[in-house]
Amino acid sequence: MQQQLAQLVAAATQEAAAVATRAELEAFKARVVGPNGSLTQVMKGMATLSKEERPVVGKLINEAKKAVEELISSLLVKVENSEIAAALGAPVDPTLPSPDAPVGSLHPLSRTRERILASFRKLGFVVADGPEVETEWHCFDALNTPADHPARDMQDTLYMPKAFRSADAPRKGEEAILLRTHTSSVQVRTMLSRKPPFRIVAPGRCFRRDAVDATHSANFHQVEGLWIDRDVTLADLRGVLDFFVKETFGADAEIRLRPSFFPFTEPSFEMDLRSPNLGRLSNRWLEIMGCGLVDPKVLELCGLDPNEWSGLAFGLGLERIAMLVHGIDDIRHFYNNDTRFLRQFA
Amino acid sequence: MKVSFQALSRHLDLAGVTAERVAEVLPMLGLEVESVTTFGLAPLPLVVVGEIKSFEKHPKADRLSVCQVDVGDGAIRQIVCGAKNFKAGDRVPVALPGTVMPGGFAISVSKLRDVDSAGMMCSSEELGLGKGEDGLLILTPRQPALGTPLNALFGAPDTVLEISVTPNRGDCLGIRGVARDLAAALGLALKPLTVKTAAGLATTPSASDAVKFVRSSSEFCPYYTLRTLKNVKVGPSPEWLRRDLEAAGLRPINNVVDITNWVLLELGQPLHAFDAKKVSQGIEARPAREGEEIVLLDGKKVKLETGVCVIADAQRPLVVAGVMGGVDSGVTDSTTEILLEAAWFRPGEIRRVARRIGVSTDSSHRFARDVDPAGVELASRLATDLLIEHAGAQVAGPAIAVGKPPRADVTIELPAGYVAAKLGTPIADADVNAAFARLGFTVKPSATGFSVLVPSFRSDVSRPIDLVEEFIRIHGTDKVPAGRPIAPLPGDDDALTSVFTREVSARLVGAGFTECCHYSLRDAAELERTLGADKAALVAMDNPLTAEQTHLRASLVPGLAGALALNLSVHADPRGLFEVGTVFRPQADGTVREFISVAFAVVAEPVTRSWKSREAFDALRAKRLLQDVAALAGVTAVRLSFATATGGLWQADHAAALVDRGRAAEGACGVLDLRWTRSLGLKSSVIAGEVCFPRTAFVEARKIPRFEAFSSFPPVTKDVAVIVPVGVAAAEVESRVRQGASKAAGKEFVLESVNCFDVFTGPGLPEGHRSLAFEIRWRHAARTLTDEETNQALGVVIATLEKGAGWTVRR
Repeated sequence: MQQQLAQLVAAATQEAAAVATRAELEAFKARVVGPNGSLTQVMKGMATLSKEERPVVGKLINEAKKAVEELISSLLVKVENSEIAAALGAPVDPTLPSPDAPVGSLHPLSRTRERILASFRKLGFVVADGPEVETEWHCFDALNTPADHPARDMQDTLYMPKAFRSADAPRKGEEAILLRTHTSSVQVRTMLSRKPPFRIVAPGRCFRRDAVDATHSANFHQVEGLWIDRDVTLADLRGVLDFFVKETFGADAEIRLRPSFFPFTEPSFEMDLRSPNLGRLSNRWLEIMGCGLVDPKVLELCGLDPNEWSGLAFGLGLERIAMLVHGIDDIRHFYNNDTRFLRQFA
Repeated sequence: MKVSFQALSRHLDLAGVTAERVAEVLPMLGLEVESVTTFGLAPLPLVVVGEIKSFEKHPKADRLSVCQVDVGDGAIRQIVCGAKNFKAGDRVPVALPGTVMPGGFAISVSKLRDVDSAGMMCSSEELGLGKGEDGLLILTPRQPALGTPLNALFGAPDTVLEISVTPNRGDCLGIRGVARDLAAALGLALKPLTVKTAAGLATTPSASDAVKFVRSSSEFCPYYTLRTLKNVKVGPSPEWLRRDLEAAGLRPINNVVDITNWVLLELGQPLHAFDAKKVSQGIEARPAREGEEIVLLDGKKVKLETGVCVIADAQRPLVVAGVMGGVDSGVTDSTTEILLEAAWFRPGEIRRVARRIGVSTDSSHRFARDVDPAGVELASRLATDLLIEHAGAQVAGPAIAVGKPPRADVTIELPAGYVAAKLGTPIADADVNAAFARLGFTVKPSATGFSVLVPSFRSDVSRPIDLVEEFIRIHGTDKVPAGRPIAPLPGDDDALTSVFTREVSARLVGAGFTECCHYSLRDAAELERTLGADKAALVAMDNPLTAEQTHLRASLVPGLAGALALNLSVHADPRGLFEVGTVFRPQADGTVREFISVAFAVVAEPVTRSWKSREAFDALRAKRLLQDVAALAGVTAVRLSFATATGGLWQADHAAALVDRGRAAEGACGVLDLRWTRSLGLKSSVIAGEVCFPRTAFVEARKIPRFEAFSSFPPVTKDVAVIVPVGVAAAEVESRVRQGASKAAGKEFVLESVNCFDVFTGPGLPEGHRSLAFEIRWRHAARTLTDEETNQALGVVIATLEKGAGWTVRR
């Protein structure tokens, strides 16, 4: 009996070597452990054994059965493995490059804009926008710009013809329609349409009748801010700008407010920046933006009582900030769209 | 404006104050310093006067001379020199070894082409004295002693600060104005101005005056004064006067003109001197008459606009008032009697006229910025002093004045505590008032605070807020601390256009696209291609600067196509490019509307080779991207329909125009016009897409989605294939399938989806037909659908489809 079982296991092991597919595995299982299988036959013979022989033979049979079951489960793994290999094909070489294009990138001006907006958002400024083609009133008159101010000159500002009608900025009377020279027109529209208090930042494209060179461009971008509330002070202005500069240029950047002149703010300042981390422009005062307290005349022109409301305003050039932050030396790079430039700032 | 340190020292005692300190202080007063330069001879102790005893040609260099030079120390030095403009016996500056020249060059004993040279003889330019004659600075006419240090001949150097004066500070277009601010900032006293000529004005000419009348009939000249000066001897100005003018960047002419210019620089008040003999009878400031002309000092003949203010005699206009004089009434070497004009003209008019004639003079620049009416007479008297002293002039009598000063000092009522409240930091009123006093303002207590009397030279200070600026200029902005921390305002959020821009950019960057930024201003050809010639004319600017930038852009696609071409030309793989920005599109009602546009472009054939190929970007992937973009703007796929695009930027039969049923969005996608993109140098076709939204589309806040319950029972799917003529759009067939399938579902169950899964043309189909196969999926909310129900439903779909002319359902 013992010898018979040993032969059976040996035969099964030998046969198993030839099993490669699931069907062959099933046939093999039937031959060994199926109803008429070789092992099944031996187990059936147990009934004829004496009471004394049974435990001994039973133990031998169990051992043989265990060996066959192990054989079958190892065959199952083998068959599954070959099935998986067939389904998946050749193995992957993980060191090959992915054939897919990588993620794209934001334009450095967009990136700079979002960074600036994010810092002002922390101070409760929300983004406002307005049309790029504006009425002369929104761009100049409402900002207390004298009628004969040079900025209104045909030499400096781009105008649309008299017949031009804008759906977004309808003209009143005979006033001219022009390409906005600053995003301050958005401040005007906000003051006219919203009730204070509010804090807005207006990013956007502006235009000047400038020939293109390393520092000039016919269109450029600004981010302007306006905070209208009761009792807005110069200390508030300093607080807002100090926060912005430290967010954008690092905690060791400093600012100074240098008195200046704009028709729409009083007092008016140029804000200078000094930082140790600006390459060859480090550690010297750089003019970054104009700012000031909103001139009472502007509040009045925009329908706000200057005795009740006050405000602060500031405006900066996006290109200038991006050039400083990234050490870019020519404004034209922003508009050339050479991807060797664009992808440097991802 | 150029202001020298010495000029400022005339008005305040700057002992112990360096020019560097002045250059630091002025910007913080609002007077930006653009440059600081040395004027005159810098300290050069080793540069002395020497005499060229003899010279001969350098043995090895034709252009060099070997000179024997005596600097008075008993020795003769040999110096090699490249200049040609000297002769033996000339006295010239000699830089002895050890000198460091103003340019930083150190002089030592050396050899030039093998010949010993012990120093350098200097040119005007090498000494930092400006460009003089070519070659050495010849000192012979001055007859200086040998060995005299050059500094002893030239006096101390001066520092010139070039100041940029903002338009509100007309008072700082005179040295005294700058000095006044500086004195206030440094806490120094402004020296009084002493004028000898007596004050006092006459209203009509006397017998001794050179004119019979002085009048003003122009609204632009409310105040005019004229003084006769006799026995004038025109000649060169004294050295100090020439030096002062040169330091300020002006060229000396003659004593009379130089004196008027000097006073203009000193006080900011322009003056004009006429040759009295060339003036017929009298002087009148009057409107120009029709057809009048004048030849200006610069030789330019100007046709005068009727009504502009001219200064005329009895016969003709002599001067464009406040702007520029004419050639035939000015002071010349033979002038002996002059009429000295000091006046006040309306700033706006001067600015307008100067711009119109196209000239900007020192005079017009100052009048345009509102000169001090109270300074008119003072300037006239100061100039008279100088004309008496330096041109031998004799005063005929008081100046004749017509009109009166148009504005005077103003009083501002400043509430107590106002300045501190605007600054947001505690400041004692006494400190505020002290700062005003330093600026020359007079402060008196009033019922509510203070009365501040602001002199007429500060035309820009008229309101309490203006006084805040004055205070902070003097007090220093660095003394204002950063303000209180602030919290956001609840419920306030970014404009939806901004949110959209951010989200759509992130979406496209995630899809592998690189953002571009192109100019908004484009050329006519591009707009004609985009819009057609008629509509292109509607977005043309009135005064473009260049022929390349004449129109507003109507599409972002041309820019992107150009960027693809550019990148390929420099062998950079552009991959996908996109841009978000404003475009301008003519509307049916004749207006032009601004749209926020999103566009992208990809070269159809991959540029970079890969070991494993990927399916190329095509028109229908562009469509998907466009739908995703539209969804971010709140335009659902249901609202959008696509039809074949025709003309313009797009290739016929290979692009789709997008129509928004909500009439908000416009757009297109597909292959760009192949002839056009090939003309740009692009070999492969370009797949692009653009969708744009009017600003108004973003006005409504996006709705917050509400949860809808869904069925837990399985769906049933049925396929249907229909053969239709090729001209029938897939969307039309799909819509018919939907129509039948939802009709079949009725209210009992729900049509979940219709999906086109096969499009076939070829063998087995009738000529000119194609087969479209759809999978329809229905589901019941509360149970499993039966076979009977769904077969019946499919029957309804089939019946609906077969109503189409020439449509056959395949069975």
